[in-house]
Amino acid sequence: MMPSIPKLPAKSYVLCILLIVVCEISTSEVPRPRGVPLSHNPLYNPAKDFVCLDNSLSIPFSQVNDDYCDCPDASDEPGTSACIHGTFFCMNVGHTSTYISSSRVNDGICDCCDGTDEYVKGKCANNCQELGQSAMKEAARQSELLKAGKQIRASMCEMGIKLKAEKKDKLVIFAAQKIEAEKIMREKEQIKKNIEELESAALEQYRQIEEENKRIKQEEENKKNRQEAEDTFVRFDSNKDGIVEVSELQSLHTFDRDRNGEVTVEEAKYFLNSKDSMSLEDFVVEAWPAMKPFLMLDEGLYKPPQPAGVGEVEEVPINGEEPTTEAEFEEAADEEGVNEEEDEEDEEHPEEEEEHEETNPEVTYDEETQNLIEKATAARSEFTEADQSVRDIQSEITKIEEYLNKDFGPDEAFAPLEGECFDYMDYEYIYRLCPFDKATQQQKSGSSDTRLGSWSKWSNQNYDAMLYDRGQSCWNGPQRSTTVAISCGSENKLTSVSEPNRCEYHFTFETPAACYKATTEGIKDIHDEL
Amino acid sequence: MARAMRLFAFALLVAIAASVDRNNFKTCDQSSFCRRLRKVEQDNSKYILNLDTLQVSAHSLEADLLNPDATFKFTLTALAGNTFRLFADEIKPLHKRYKVVGALDGEPKLTKLEVLERTKQEVVIKCGDSKVKLIAEPFKIEFYNKDTVVAVVNARGLFTIEHLRVKPQEQADGNEELPKEDPGAWEENFKSHHDSKPRGPEALAMDVTFPGAIRAYGLPEHADHLALRSTGPGATDPYRLYNLDVFEYELETTMAIYGAVPVLYAHGPENTVGVFWHNSAETWVDISNSKDTNVVSSIVNLVSGKKDENKVDAHFMSESGVLDVFVMLGPKPADVVKQYAALTGVAPLPQYFTFGYHQCRWNYNDEDDVKNVVEKFDEGDFPLDVMWLDIEYTDGKKYFTWDPVKFSHSTVMLNNLTATGRKLVAIIDPHVKRESGYFLHEDALNNDYYVKDKDGKVFEGWCWPGSSSYPDFFDPTVVDYYSNLYSLDKFKGSTENLYIWNDMNEPSVFNGPEITMGKDMVHYGNWEHRHVHNLYGLYYTMVTMKGLQARSPNKRPFILTRAFFAGSQRYAAMWTGDNAAEWSHLAISYPMCLSVALGGISFCGADIGGFFHNPDPELLLRWYQVATWLPFFRAHAHIDTKRREPYLYGSDVQMRIRNALKLRYAHLPMWYTQFWEHSRTGEPVIRPLFYEFPEDSNVLDIDNQVLIGKSVMATAVSQHSASSASVYLPGGSEQLWYDLSDFKSYTGSGYITYPVNLDKIPVFYMGGSIVSRKDRPRRASSLMHDDPYTLYVSLDNNKSATGTLYIDDSESYEYKKKKYLYIRFNYKDNTLTNSFIDQDAKYPTLSWLERVVVLGASNNFRYATLKTPKGEDTILQVSYDSEGRSLIIRKPGVSMREKFTITLH
Repeated sequence: MMPSIPKLPAKSYVLCILLIVVCEISTSEVPRPRGVPLSHNPLYNPAKDFVCLDNSLSIPFSQVNDDYCDCPDASDEPGTSACIHGTFFCMNVGHTSTYISSSRVNDGICDCCDGTDEYVKGKCANNCQELGQSAMKEAARQSELLKAGKQIRASMCEMGIKLKAEKKDKLVIFAAQKIEAEKIMREKEQIKKNIEELESAALEQYRQIEEENKRIKQEEENKKNRQEAEDTFVRFDSNKDGIVEVSELQSLHTFDRDRNGEVTVEEAKYFLNSKDSMSLEDFVVEAWPAMKPFLMLDEGLYKPPQPAGVGEVEEVPINGEEPTTEAEFEEAADEEGVNEEEDEEDEEHPEEEEEHEETNPEVTYDEETQNLIEKATAARSEFTEADQSVRDIQSEITKIEEYLNKDFGPDEAFAPLEGECFDYMDYEYIYRLCPFDKATQQQKSGSSDTRLGSWSKWSNQNYDAMLYDRGQSCWNGPQRSTTVAISCGSENKLTSVSEPNRCEYHFTFETPAACYKATTEGIKDIHDEL
Repeated sequence: MARAMRLFAFALLVAIAASVDRNNFKTCDQSSFCRRLRKVEQDNSKYILNLDTLQVSAHSLEADLLNPDATFKFTLTALAGNTFRLFADEIKPLHKRYKVVGALDGEPKLTKLEVLERTKQEVVIKCGDSKVKLIAEPFKIEFYNKDTVVAVVNARGLFTIEHLRVKPQEQADGNEELPKEDPGAWEENFKSHHDSKPRGPEALAMDVTFPGAIRAYGLPEHADHLALRSTGPGATDPYRLYNLDVFEYELETTMAIYGAVPVLYAHGPENTVGVFWHNSAETWVDISNSKDTNVVSSIVNLVSGKKDENKVDAHFMSESGVLDVFVMLGPKPADVVKQYAALTGVAPLPQYFTFGYHQCRWNYNDEDDVKNVVEKFDEGDFPLDVMWLDIEYTDGKKYFTWDPVKFSHSTVMLNNLTATGRKLVAIIDPHVKRESGYFLHEDALNNDYYVKDKDGKVFEGWCWPGSSSYPDFFDPTVVDYYSNLYSLDKFKGSTENLYIWNDMNEPSVFNGPEITMGKDMVHYGNWEHRHVHNLYGLYYTMVTMKGLQARSPNKRPFILTRAFFAGSQRYAAMWTGDNAAEWSHLAISYPMCLSVALGGISFCGADIGGFFHNPDPELLLRWYQVATWLPFFRAHAHIDTKRREPYLYGSDVQMRIRNALKLRYAHLPMWYTQFWEHSRTGEPVIRPLFYEFPEDSNVLDIDNQVLIGKSVMATAVSQHSASSASVYLPGGSEQLWYDLSDFKSYTGSGYITYPVNLDKIPVFYMGGSIVSRKDRPRRASSLMHDDPYTLYVSLDNNKSATGTLYIDDSESYEYKKKKYLYIRFNYKDNTLTNSFIDQDAKYPTLSWLERVVVLGASNNFRYATLKTPKGEDTILQVSYDSEGRSLIIRKPGVSMREKFTITLH
């Protein structure tokens, strides 16, 4: 895994050699005040008074590093904690030289790897060699990683550019197809329009005939019904006084709605529209419609349309009994209602289509009309097909345009990530990042996804952070949002998830697509003091 | 349905308009005993002291006190420090009445009294400069400082003790001879809660008049101004003392909040008198200040030339208990506060780090989060001493456990913190999750450790973990058991560098009456919760103290508490609870802490930034600047707020917060010394102006300025975009004040308009003081232990100054073995000398004297000489700043262990 030193690039060799030189220098070190960087050493001359580096004051050299701050710029105390704004230079031979704040000198904590910051208690070991080596290894590893990453990135870029190019090509094709499809659609529309005019004219006469037939039929029905009513009236009017009374109905078991073997006054009255008696005319208008289904049921002629309907008819509680059942019915009805609504929506389109095909099977058209109808039907179906085809192409175009508008970073490196998803699991949740789409969270126990944000934008010009916002709202809080910090890695991987503020998530994501910075970064700063 | 919706909408509107839900909390009118006692007829006292039964002993008087229905034994005891104790209990009570245990710091020291006069109608005794006159009928007690009457008990005849009795049988025909009782006397409902009151009415009350007083202070804790307002029937509710968890508390009200200290100070230019109402039951106190009622009569008197007598009237009312009252006769504010401290004790010296900066949030999510925050503090060069963990660190709100995933390596986390000199504080609350298998719950059930309901069943309430029960800390067995939970082998994953935050200890019960425990719950010794309610929080911290001391015998504990009572200072620091990110809440932090400090608890702070809601950067940085000058210095935030650690802001805001933190760290030796002195004298560390300037009538209502000891005075800037602040400089033309930011000097000649910008608030050194600083702020205070000192000598009008410095190992009890240095610095006649106040105390400090800054020195000094007993004279360089306001003596270099003399020439 770790590259051995001989595999290091030539530049690193030079650094190693330089480091060895430094080691030798430091063993026979040029005397310099504690905490002073080598480059500033000439400014500290023990033979002369010391002039603060900002030229504000001249002090005897004995006051340099005497643990008392004289210079406003802190330059007289490079090696002590006396000046609050001062810095201390750690040579850190074998590792990276650094400056630390003077406040960290002699505070009991080893801040410099060479231990020089803790000279009063002197309890710090020098571990610069080890750290330097591991830093070097780490830098080499990073460099390898970057190198490998860059290679993968190159192929990602290639793929990204190709994807975009393909999409662009497709766009051109689709655009052409769209023009063609629109042309066909318009033609089909014209054909449909023409034939429908003919069809409509031909059907007009049939429609008139049909209406006349309907009217006649209805009249016959009415007559028949009237006759039935009159017959029944006569049958019920047992005392033949031309009036049907409650007592007369009470003798007819048909009206025993609760099936208790007795027709009560209430039961009888129910059919007489709450009246005590009725003349023939009233009977025909008011009583007959309510009565007829019962009589038919009695005769076995009538079958209620649904079981629920039967229930209702049979069990209408006269005294408001069995309220529980009623409530249950209502609930059931409500539920059905909901379903019906949904069904309606689903069936909307088929119904519309059926409307056109509405032909009376009983009517037989003459050959010419029949022909026209068939042609019109065919034209309509062809038009619908053509129209759908235009829509389909448009939807493809929209998709491609959306894709082409997405910023996949320099050289389209991030494009291949689109459409992919990456998971990160902690002990409670599975987090998922679908780049350029969304971030989600799912409980491991398996409940549904919580949307932590939808793709919004790159957070900055460096393409190292993405923002996903407009996620699901928190209870009593804001909409969830997620920032994704992107770094170079040899594979695409969601590496951590945290929630620093409530409902604000922070993902870290490694991808070769982010490997495009200079290879030498990280090790090039070593020993700029040399 | 629509109507319901409208109602709901209306409720929402109300909720937005006022943050606190007042409906959750009782008014006096909704409390039967407050109603009853407020109705007692004035100037018609039925109480008679039977002087025939008078018995006099060396320290006390005893006599029967009668009302038409019962006889009480009354005792007056003379105590050391100009203090008298009044005590009354029923001679043959139906049930025992509760006597407070735990508030006093041991038995008060007695002193001898002398009977001056004795007749059938009155007895006069003398004790030092004080006299007490007991008047038999109607019962009345007058307290005199020399010959001036300064306090009169039962002056208005409101004194009442309801004797315990059997509930009268209700008679069908309605016996008219029985006086009509308050409907809540024998049982009482509040909202959906029922109080069965098994002992019936047992309330008590006492009025005290303070002739000559012009202000009343004390009675913390209230989110109100320092000077108490006048209350009264039909107007403002009395100040209520009943420890309650009040969600989003409101400001400038007399409503009860988390803590209760029933001590009242009546202050006038001549005398300051204190009354400590030693009672742990629910208490209400009406205050009437003649200045608020005399407006009309003073106009009349102006014409007639008659002068109104100033006075303050107080009316204490408690639901139960014996009558036990301490009257402290001062005569100056410092005297009376010290007299109070002599009764209830002082805060033992805390560890040095506790004055550093504390970073808290509900919640730091996991160990990495804690680590990252500390790293960011270090990267941004923000000093930080303590990281805090709120309730989410636990395994499902089970205290003494850690979340098995997020805090699975707590000792590693603790050790990482201590590697850079930091500490950790974790929350431990009293409610116990009722979960089978949770050792604490199992132990408590098996051993009968929980508080019971009135029927003897374990009380169950609702708190953070859901269904919870509450250990009975009044039971000594529970104290032993629970304190042992802090031992390292019990509290797995803790180390000696873990300190404790006790929250929710009012106790908070989400589904209880007024969000607390029902009054008829039963504690150890068969006392009802009503008798001991205000003590629950104090006992809880006492248990924690015991636990931490047993865990780490040679390390001083640190405990933060939300609920408190008189005496809590002996166990814990407190903070003002769940405040809000509003300018008004920043403003109230000074008056609230000043009031609590007068109540004996100096270690006070308010959540920096405000707990609820999000502060804007200006409010946040001002809060840091203002909080720098309160003892407890912690930032905290609600879980729903955005993160607000200083490193998250722009560089200018960061710079200002960093400066505030570093100024705080420079002054840590001052805070430490002040708390050392508090532990020796009982004087508050933070003081209102009237405390040091009792004769100045202009300072009576100033509570946005705070004095730290006798050396620093800070003024809170609590207005958005302030460009100036009005600062009152007390002390007259003889008193000098030095601006901390530029050393410009002022005289104490009253109000000045002080220009401010975002960089600073007005802070002054008091002329005549010497402040010891460590001007090398580092990452954490422990890393500054050996750093050298700079003395800031602020000369007074006579070109002299004095100050003290306390040094020890900062953490252990070795100081009790005289391992410390307590140094006095004196500057006089151009010479600075030191001396050791406790000459037998020694501490081998590595610290030395880095610099002396003299403010107000004349401008003709050329050098200084340093003399030590061992060495020869050393010449020291001196220099002046460009304005000539400060003289700097360069590097005396002498060890703080050594005696020295530095003379300017």
